[in-house]
Amino acid sequence: MTGPEYIHVILVDFSQLARMGMVGLLNQMKYPFHVREIPTPDRLNGLTAKDLGGLFIISSSFLSKCPPELIHGLHKKLGKTVCILIHDSDGFPGEFVNFAETIEFSDPGKTIIRKMERQLNTMVRNNPVRNPAGEISDREKEVLRLVAIGLTNKEIGDKLFISSHTVITHRKNITAKLGIKTIAGLTMYALINHLIFPEDIH
Amino acid sequence: MQIVPKMKMAEVIHLNYHLLPIISRFDIPLGFGEKTIEQLCSEYGIDVNFFLVILNSYHDKNYFPRKHIQTFPLRLIIDYLRKSHNYYLKIKIPQIDELLLQLPDQAAGQGAESLRLIGRFFDDYRQELSAHILHEEEKVYPYVFSVEEAYLSGKPSLSLVDQIKEYSIDNYENEHDNVEDKLFDLQNIIMKYLPLPLDTNLCHTLLIELFRLETDLNDHARIEDKVMVPKVRFMEKWIKDHFTG
Repeated sequence: MTGPEYIHVILVDFSQLARMGMVGLLNQMKYPFHVREIPTPDRLNGLTAKDLGGLFIISSSFLSKCPPELIHGLHKKLGKTVCILIHDSDGFPGEFVNFAETIEFSDPGKTIIRKMERQLNTMVRNNPVRNPAGEISDREKEVLRLVAIGLTNKEIGDKLFISSHTVITHRKNITAKLGIKTIAGLTMYALINHLIFPEDIH
Repeated sequence: MQIVPKMKMAEVIHLNYHLLPIISRFDIPLGFGEKTIEQLCSEYGIDVNFFLVILNSYHDKNYFPRKHIQTFPLRLIIDYLRKSHNYYLKIKIPQIDELLLQLPDQAAGQGAESLRLIGRFFDDYRQELSAHILHEEEKVYPYVFSVEEAYLSGKPSLSLVDQIKEYSIDNYENEHDNVEDKLFDLQNIIMKYLPLPLDTNLCHTLLIELFRLETDLNDHARIEDKVMVPKVRFMEKWIKDHFTG
């Protein structure tokens, strides 16, 4: 079974609380992630090109404490990495890089998710190699069928004797492989491919 | 390259022809001659700063309007957003509908059934989009106007102050979701999973229209997020700071 490739996320802020909050929001999105947290400026030096290239999230308070040469070095390394700035209501510090998106600390969770998903959609689309190769597995097909007929994660888990958490992982993989995110879209896919029939739908 | 007031309009369109629908939303007709953006704006009574913020937001998705140029009233933003709503509902969606209607004619049996499913999926999408637009026009925009009016007069009504405490612009904006996702799904299904044979030209035209609609909707959402929402938030905060305690 080929799993989808994880999106590398670099999360840069002093506050563990803020980083954990962001990880919590990332987990609610439709993409599988690998998060690396950077709590202090010196740790930025350790980043390699391999770590970058995904999503780079940094706070304005962190940026303002970084020495200029560090920012300069980072700037060069970032290349095409999608950068997101988290800032407070006072706005954000001068020229660092072009931020693809800015998030305010006071933004509600849903706004943050919406903003990040928009970036991720573009990113995944612009990097076809990120999309996993291969067809969905038999197990994923089974989960897909149950999603398409309208069962909840809990119901699917009970039926297949797996946890809701595992169901969610399967769903993320299905979405990543097929490029279909909504339940209505998955239902249509299942109908077209005869995984289900119109009379199956709840 | 950022678009500036001294650029000729024709050059701007050469730079990025996707801006054509935008200038038509400002009722600027073709026949620019050698006129610059500045000149055209004064001719048609358009706020040049506002026009540039819109053009640049569409032209460069990383563009951020700086606060100091955002002096234009919210009414202008809302007028613009309404015009683009109108463009989606009255022009873009019917165009796509037209193409979708032609699809099932191309296939027989199972194939035609799948193609009809696509039509139904798009119907659902259209309904969601319309509901979302209606919600903005009937609920969000009037709210935005009342906030701006209260801010400018310095005299918010008690009911507005109460309302802001309970329910701010962020709540309004988050009441909708996954309209964008459905469009994305539709593109993938048409590209990847429809049974052959298909009318290639028709499908290509359809896909291109769907991509354009998506791009335009994303740009529209960016203008809401980056131009409208921060302004409203700022005013809400001012009202809260001065009238609650």
